[in-house]
Amino acid sequence: MTEKERTERDIGSLETEMNRGFLHILVLALLEKDMYGYSMVKLVEGLGYKVEENTLYPLLRRLEKNGWIASKWDLSEDRPRKFYAVTAAGRSLRAALLEVWKTQIRVLDQVTKEIRHV
Amino acid sequence: MSDKLEAYLEEISHFLSGRSEREEILTDIRSHILEKAAEGAGGTANDAAIERAIAGFGPARRVAERYLDESRPIIAPAYKRFLFRYTTLLFAIHTMLTIVAVIFKKVFIVFPFLFMPRLGVIEALMYLPTAFLADLGIVMMVLYLITQSGKDIRLPWPKFAVDINEVKPPVLAERIFTGIAAFVMLGLTDGAVYLFVKYHAVFFVNLNWKDPRPLFTPDAGRRLSLILIAMLATSTMSLFIKILTKSRWVDIVGDIVSLGLIGVVLTQPWENLFAVRIAEDLLPKIRYGAKFILLFIAAFITVDLIKHIVILSRRRLNPGTSK
Repeated sequence: MTEKERTERDIGSLETEMNRGFLHILVLALLEKDMYGYSMVKLVEGLGYKVEENTLYPLLRRLEKNGWIASKWDLSEDRPRKFYAVTAAGRSLRAALLEVWKTQIRVLDQVTKEIRHV
Repeated sequence: MSDKLEAYLEEISHFLSGRSEREEILTDIRSHILEKAAEGAGGTANDAAIERAIAGFGPARRVAERYLDESRPIIAPAYKRFLFRYTTLLFAIHTMLTIVAVIFKKVFIVFPFLFMPRLGVIEALMYLPTAFLADLGIVMMVLYLITQSGKDIRLPWPKFAVDINEVKPPVLAERIFTGIAAFVMLGLTDGAVYLFVKYHAVFFVNLNWKDPRPLFTPDAGRRLSLILIAMLATSTMSLFIKILTKSRWVDIVGDIVSLGLIGVVLTQPWENLFAVRIAEDLLPKIRYGAKFILLFIAAFITVDLIKHIVILSRRRLNPGTSK
């Protein structure tokens, strides 16, 4: 394995770790409006970001299990779709997570600014 | 419904076996794949579009693992290193009991953890790998139960004698000392080989080389002499290799060979052993005394062997530490 390939692999695995927290916030933010899984995938792709489908669905299940989102099947169309929406507990969690994320961004901004000055 | 989709869901279902919400998970995945395939095919999901959607969703096992990844591990990461540590300690005890069982022809039972029948040397050698797997299983079971209990239990581990940081890089003085020891052992080995070639024995009751009197009868003397030469040669080779490297593998191989040779000595018949006359009442005492000394040496070598294996395994579990 070359140095470049190793770096790419390391970035990939670290990105996966970073994505875990980010996806929680993203999904909780998206579900302010009722959405089904595939519609979320398409919407996020349209914004220039890719969500792995096989990561999204287990995440939705975990969020629902914890009571942060709720789901209901819509059988009115040709194809049955499972719609998700954020709950009150989910909104509180989202607000708290956004605070954490903003603090992280602020700290990172500050540190990188200081590095640039050095 | 597409056969490919059903086969894919069946495969995921297999990897999810035991999960209560398996059917719900499969319904979610089915719905997503049909939705995506229908959009890809312009409204109606055909086989080719379903196949593409399945490929996009990922291999069945990986998909199932994403749903399983929050489950508690079989053994918590903090306890993983104890798996090999405790197994080696348990195996050391097991090995010592095996040696005792071979020498004294005893049966040991500690139900349901230990059953050791009367063993010969060959049976003991075949028994030990099985014993290792049994010890590994017991330790795994204990660590599994601790992990599943969810409690923060501090597991004990003796730091003496098996501290990984005791492994220091070889120094010149040490190499010189090992070199001298290697040449002394080489001299002893050569001497033993010389005596064996000339007299077919290396054990004598006098030092009169014009008329030497062997200690043992010819057959027994030949066997025991060859075993002693093999032991000396093993130590010599081990010391010469240790001038060049401090690899623990040298000690491990040396210890295993020595244990094997001690085992061979212990299986030698005691009848018609001595070529000189020995008082009848002394014979049992000599026999038990010799067995006791050999057992003591074997136990000492076993402890040394286990120590080397533990240090080697700890180093492999902690790749950043010294070699």
